[in-house]
Amino acid sequence: MHPITHTIREMYAIFHDLGFQIAQGPELEEEFYNFDALNIPNDHPSRDMQDTFWIKGQKGKLLTTQTSAIQIRFMQNNKPPFRILAPGKVFRNEATDATHEAQFFQMEGMIVDKEVSLADLKGVLEYAFKKLFGDNAEIRFRPSYFPFVEPGVEVDVKWKGKWLEVLGAGLIHPHVLKAGNIDGKEWQGLAFAFGLDRIAMLKYGIDDIRHLYSGDLRFINQF
Amino acid sequence: MKISHSWLQEYFKDTLPTAEALAELFTFHSFEIDGIDRRDGHLSSLSESKGDKIIDAKILPDRAHFCLSYKGIAEEVKVLTGLQYVDNKIDDTPLAVDESIEKINVSVENADFCRRYVSRKITGLEIKESDEYIKDKLRAMDGRSINTIVDATNIAMFDYGQPLHAFDADKVKGDIVVRSAKEGESITLLDGKEITLSSNDHVIADEEGPLAIAGVKGGKRAEVTMDTKNIIIESANFEPASVRKTSTKYNLRNESSKRFENEITPGIALSGINHVSVLISKINPNAKFGPIIDFYPKPAINTVITTSTNFINKKLGINIPQEKIVAILKNFSIVVEEKEEQLSLTIPLHRFDLVIPEDIVEEVGRIYGYDKVVGTKQEVKNSADVPAHSGFYVAENIKNILLSLGFSEAYLYTLVNKGDIEVAYPLASDKKALRTNLCYGMLKALDMNARNADLLFIDTVKMFEVGKVFTNKGEHTSLCVGVRRIKKVKGQTSNQDIRDTREALLKALDIDIMTVCTVDDTGGILRFKGEQIGVINAIDGIMELNLDALIPHIKTPSYESINFGPAAKIIYRPFSIYPFITRDIAVFVPDSVKTEDVENIITSNGTELLLKHKLFDTFKKDGKTSYAFRMIFQSFERTLTDEEINKIMETISSDMKGKGWEVR
Repeated sequence: MHPITHTIREMYAIFHDLGFQIAQGPELEEEFYNFDALNIPNDHPSRDMQDTFWIKGQKGKLLTTQTSAIQIRFMQNNKPPFRILAPGKVFRNEATDATHEAQFFQMEGMIVDKEVSLADLKGVLEYAFKKLFGDNAEIRFRPSYFPFVEPGVEVDVKWKGKWLEVLGAGLIHPHVLKAGNIDGKEWQGLAFAFGLDRIAMLKYGIDDIRHLYSGDLRFINQF
Repeated sequence: MKISHSWLQEYFKDTLPTAEALAELFTFHSFEIDGIDRRDGHLSSLSESKGDKIIDAKILPDRAHFCLSYKGIAEEVKVLTGLQYVDNKIDDTPLAVDESIEKINVSVENADFCRRYVSRKITGLEIKESDEYIKDKLRAMDGRSINTIVDATNIAMFDYGQPLHAFDADKVKGDIVVRSAKEGESITLLDGKEITLSSNDHVIADEEGPLAIAGVKGGKRAEVTMDTKNIIIESANFEPASVRKTSTKYNLRNESSKRFENEITPGIALSGINHVSVLISKINPNAKFGPIIDFYPKPAINTVITTSTNFINKKLGINIPQEKIVAILKNFSIVVEEKEEQLSLTIPLHRFDLVIPEDIVEEVGRIYGYDKVVGTKQEVKNSADVPAHSGFYVAENIKNILLSLGFSEAYLYTLVNKGDIEVAYPLASDKKALRTNLCYGMLKALDMNARNADLLFIDTVKMFEVGKVFTNKGEHTSLCVGVRRIKKVKGQTSNQDIRDTREALLKALDIDIMTVCTVDDTGGILRFKGEQIGVINAIDGIMELNLDALIPHIKTPSYESINFGPAAKIIYRPFSIYPFITRDIAVFVPDSVKTEDVENIITSNGTELLLKHKLFDTFKKDGKTSYAFRMIFQSFERTLTDEEINKIMETISSDMKGKGWEVR
């Protein structure tokens, strides 16, 4: 089984136990879902945080840069409370090397409920990464900035004695709930996202991200 | 933002913690640190015996309104360490005005773009090269020294966050106007580059034309040089999105545009010009300072946020006492009014990041420390309560079926050389379009793996991919299955393998699809509910079908039946990218000789170049057994030559012959 499939499945099994259901979204996405609804206005410096593949001749169409776009689509079509886990292929217009690819996989997690706190976020992630990396795994937050969460944190996971930068996370920004037609007075949310490629590379000790998309059985058949 | 430890020290009475200790504080309370560099030079911080340390801070857009300045960084340090500021570090005391110097006449065409424009003329200057201390400060910021005046404007910007610009007053003709550029109007920039402007750019102009691109870059015409005697200083505030559009369009992003793009408050423009005036008066004691004009039609007003201790604590999931919360906020110069547990907060003008109560949650949380957040214990939910995602579950089930039939899964590239939909700025010309199918990628993967079949010890390459494809009709999930037979077996073709796989798959999925196909399986299509949904063997040994068309009609498998659980422990071994060499050896041995005895000779003579070996044929005849082994040789460092492998083969066969065995 391909290591990306292994990782998606293992992660889903962990989060499924906490009540997370799968959600998916398109790869050819609209600017609204990928940026505007996620509190990333046009001509704002936060757009620089990702290099985007825009579609030629189709204004406002792009290759999705983040699975966070799926948050809005799910919110608009479902009534809270809910917990989702959204694996998806995302794209960045940047040069490739052993640790960077123009296409890679992310996994988005989201909870919308009556009361949601940073302590819940930490609890969920501690549960998940202890399951994934073993009981010794630890979690820590560092302040960061993602326009669609407030507060926003970078999450490090301690594994084999080393702190690894693994996720971005936070409490869902009220503007995002609003874009998803969810009443922010009644509902709150948390969200997190991580690179599945990075998790697979860490877990299996894969030395080059490009192996994942090579179709090379010298690589794939080891898994 | 580069933060010079020595420069930052100038703000504090007490000795700062080391650069490393500050970096640690910033990392857990403020922003990410990319690294710390050591610099020799004239800046020497009190805590370092020699030289300076430069902390490279990654300031993201939320804190860029105030942390792209030493003043903003110093405020973070004050809050985090409790250290005391020196008095009046940024001296913005208004200087005595020489009323004989004329007022600058400025008109602003669009006050939504130019929110504030402060200016004054300064005369009687003698401009020189800056001293080494100033040069080192600019070097710390990756900048370079120009002359005393330009350097003073830059130093003031780094300290205070307000970009400033100086024009040679004697080269400015008539009044100054801040206006939209005229379509096709051109300007020669300070670096000699000529830019043709368009009407959505904004310029600072005199009666002859543009003097500068507003907020972005000065022009050559009114450049301040060593011969300049009189200057006009500008301290302005421009609308972020417009500055960003212009700086991006002409690829002119710089320290000034970066600050405007991230938005700075117009509230600091006057202090900015007063501060740079003080700096100029220190290096030019004879300079005379003209009256200040201040165009500021809509003064900035402070944001007021109403929140409560309860709200902050509930969001953080911690119980921070109210007096602690209030102390943190006051430390940031936020005016706090308490009414029981309700907090009414008047936010300083420079904090554009503090708008809604959630922003206050972050402010309190990061300073108090996210390490104090204790994770909530999680309950495992009943699996039956989790809704199944039919598309995902069906796809994973199909993967399981194909894996059990000996197929390997591939994830291939979405961006290819041609397709219906193209990206605007491709990374390469062969990655300019979105794939319309999976089969061409599959064909390439089969070709590549067929070349490695010996190395993989396989006689058939069997692969599949589930992935999105994109046509003029839109996006859908496709399933592609590919087979390539390496070893020819009479009466068996890859196309027939596809038929067998298809039949097994459709049976397992319990779905009725019509196959329209040639008798010998050399080509055909798949039809479902009257629509064509797939193609069979149009390329030999490859079948592709639209999975999205089928999913609604396939029974969703149960969570348990898919087996999502963790994989068995896998140890990945990197593989060599160099070509391999295959050799076979067959030997007749007496029946008493065991397989391992033959194998031992192969492994003990194979050297480190023997990657693997396999027994692929055995038969017995007249009290003797024939063993045929295949060996794969490969190096991690180089391409092997036939000669060196021949030598290894000779040692193996002579060892075997030495035992009296018959090498065939």
